Amino acid sequence: MAAQEIPNLRTLLGNRRGGPSRGRERGRGFPGASHEGNGALKDNAVRNTDQDAASSRVSCVELGYLNDSYAKLFATQPVTRRLPLLNRGTYVRTSAIDLLVDQFLTTSPESPKQIISLGAGTDTRYFRLRDKYPNSQLIYHEIDFPTNTAAKLSSLQRHPQLYTKLTSNSPPNPLSVAPSATTYHSATYNLHACDLRTLTTSDAASAAPLPNVDPSIPTLLLSEMCLVYLQPSTVSAILLTFLQKYIPPPTPVALVLYEPILPQDAFGRTMISNLSTRNISLPTLNAYPTLSTQRQRMKSEGFMDGFKAADTDFIWRQWVSEDEKERVAGLEMLDELEELELLLKHYCIVWGWRDGGLEGDGLFTKAWQNVGEQEGGEPGDGLKAG
Amino acid sequence: MSIGGSDLDKAIAQLRACRPIPENQVRELCYKARELLIEEGNVVGVDAPVTICGDIHGQFHDLMELFRVGGDVPDTNYLFMGDFVDRGFYSLESFLLLLCLKVRYPDRITLIRGNHESRQITTVYGFYDECLRKYGSANVWRYCCEVFDYLALGALVTGAATSLSPTDGPLADTTNADSIPDPDADIEIETLNANGEIMYRYARNSDSQSSSAASQPNSTPASSSPIAPTPSRVGAAGTGATSSANGSSRNDTGAILCVHGGLSPLIDTIDKIRLLDRKQEVPHEGAMCDLLWSDPDEIDGWGLSPRGAGFLFGADIVKCFNHKNDLSLIARAHQLVMEGFKEMFDSTIVTVWSAPNYCYRCGNVAAILELGEDGSNAGFVRRSNGDAGGGGGGWVLGSNVGNGGGGGLNRRLSSVLGEQQRAREGPGRRYRVFEAAPQDSRGMPAKKPVADYFL
Repeated sequence: MAAQEIPNLRTLLGNRRGGPSRGRERGRGFPGASHEGNGALKDNAVRNTDQDAASSRVSCVELGYLNDSYAKLFATQPVTRRLPLLNRGTYVRTSAIDLLVDQFLTTSPESPKQIISLGAGTDTRYFRLRDKYPNSQLIYHEIDFPTNTAAKLSSLQRHPQLYTKLTSNSPPNPLSVAPSATTYHSATYNLHACDLRTLTTSDAASAAPLPNVDPSIPTLLLSEMCLVYLQPSTVSAILLTFLQKYIPPPTPVALVLYEPILPQDAFGRTMISNLSTRNISLPTLNAYPTLSTQRQRMKSEGFMDGFKAADTDFIWRQWVSEDEKERVAGLEMLDELEELELLLKHYCIVWGWRDGGLEGDGLFTKAWQNVGEQEGGEPGDGLKAG
Repeated sequence: MSIGGSDLDKAIAQLRACRPIPENQVRELCYKARELLIEEGNVVGVDAPVTICGDIHGQFHDLMELFRVGGDVPDTNYLFMGDFVDRGFYSLESFLLLLCLKVRYPDRITLIRGNHESRQITTVYGFYDECLRKYGSANVWRYCCEVFDYLALGALVTGAATSLSPTDGPLADTTNADSIPDPDADIEIETLNANGEIMYRYARNSDSQSSSAASQPNSTPASSSPIAPTPSRVGAAGTGATSSANGSSRNDTGAILCVHGGLSPLIDTIDKIRLLDRKQEVPHEGAMCDLLWSDPDEIDGWGLSPRGAGFLFGADIVKCFNHKNDLSLIARAHQLVMEGFKEMFDSTIVTVWSAPNYCYRCGNVAAILELGEDGSNAGFVRRSNGDAGGGGGGWVLGSNVGNGGGGGLNRRLSSVLGEQQRAREGPGRRYRVFEAAPQDSRGMPAKKPVADYFL
């Protein structure tokens, strides 16, 4: 356990549920799941956990796992070093999504593209992509709970490294936005303060406006531990809204998910139990417990031109080059191999797409044709290595 | 103050309640422990009966559960194979309690060093931070690290019985009575749950090995619910352990080497372990490092370890080492196994893991291994050991299926070694499997652990 996790014995009694709730690496784009009148507490918890996420990322950056000079700009709390196992997991998850995003942006690089990050929290991806692909015609959207978008906007206004990135591309200057604002809109970067659950309307015409979302350009939806907190029917409704209203056919659209799987084995049951003591439940985890159910889900949600999945253990083994593996393995002595494997096998990346009628020649089909997926994933064989 | 006699008993009582003892007592305790440990060889001789335990990792409440299931000290003899500290919340209380027990009952408890008993590792994995937090300075951590340097590197258990005298416990609910051999049979392996109920029993020379093994698919008590409340217990804590481990028929088993990690390419005889200079921080490489860091694996010969220290070693290495050193079994810890124990390579090596629900996250069960005392029935004629060497891949217990493919290797090895060099018959092995203790049921301070996930 890292230092901050070791209980001070003197403070234990009468503080059963105390301590900061940690580990939530994303804002969720909606208020805490309960309506029990402790909304303010929950909002605060979300803000805290989002800060915790930022410092997790910094831990990875400072140890050399990730190259992300922006991470520390969003961390306002002291950064504590994370266990090697968690650093490794953060590394795998971040690089896996980076890879899919890179393939998307480098396929037909001259054409405009759009990324919509759900529950983006303190994610730095937009700024990293700006540096990596300065000439790409990318419109980036982040949707999150207003508490999180306000905090993010405040960070943008505080750090020249961030606001100059925005002004150099297109107005307005973030500094000109009121300090109390929760939204920011420009031609390249947009912060939408929005509870995702308001996007479930069956009446497409009345769906909330998401300014600057372009319905006609290839769009990648990202959900890193975001939709998993919602009821499966809610998620389906949100996705339907995106696929019909915001990004209607035949515009190519894809979804990349990062979520836990395998809720029914010993590790999974323990995870659910541990999280429930923190008032966190993962409704879609039980609905889509395996790689194969995740693939099936993608297909039935409308991403029928491709629906693939791999757990993060497979991704570490198969997607990361030998040289890179050696580099990462050399960063920290990792004595948690069995536990790491367990942990990595309980998270997966799922990617599915609708290419808009261009069978076999669509943008996403081309972009991801060489990205290896994991065979199997039927109930019961989820623990087999790739 | 000096820590001895009644003071020591007071310290033990305080630590059993999961309350740290004052810094000056820790200093005294560590001094006494070092005086004791310095007299031990690198490989401690231990007589059966003894109960062998794997990693503890600061899971204090689970250590109490271990004592409840396995019997209390000094009624049961214990051998702990290292990794007392790091990861869990109560490394300090766990290690100091074991150390107190060692000083109080030096012949009843043996502690050997794990790779986490190291300055470098404890600064990363929690023990250093815990000491700092609980005492406000690193002094206690330093005292403990000085003790680490004196811990033995291994233990050699002799006098273990080849057969278990069967317990008279009831069958666990999940156990198929048809798979339980006749009570008169020569019992080689028995697995009991935390209530002392028989989950599985296997007679030596039985042809029903695979069928009875298969009848226990993943039926450890925790596999249905690792976090369920502990069921009500039958009988007083620890009463059955020593007596039931007694009584055996034959005494022709070889010795059992206990070591935290495994073998080293630099060590081909136990005497070479005895020659090492162990009184130092765990080095980054070399024989001492390997003993604490290596892992058995389904490979031929030696391989590089993904841990960055120690090596991987295959069945051929284990069988040659055991034969050369007249061993019937190597017991080691170091690797999390979901079922608590895992025998490999035709039962020539076993991993024992004693930290249930490791890091409050993994959902695994834990196990301890009881070796019975060899009876005095020396006139009993040894039976030939069937065809164990070519038996097709060794044990498959519960869902311990990691040794697929071993059979071919074993057959090759048998033919190389020839009939004269057939491995020693293993000792009778009783595994007690247990789940994580309920955290706040014992009047001890307990924080509901918060395990990290990617959220």
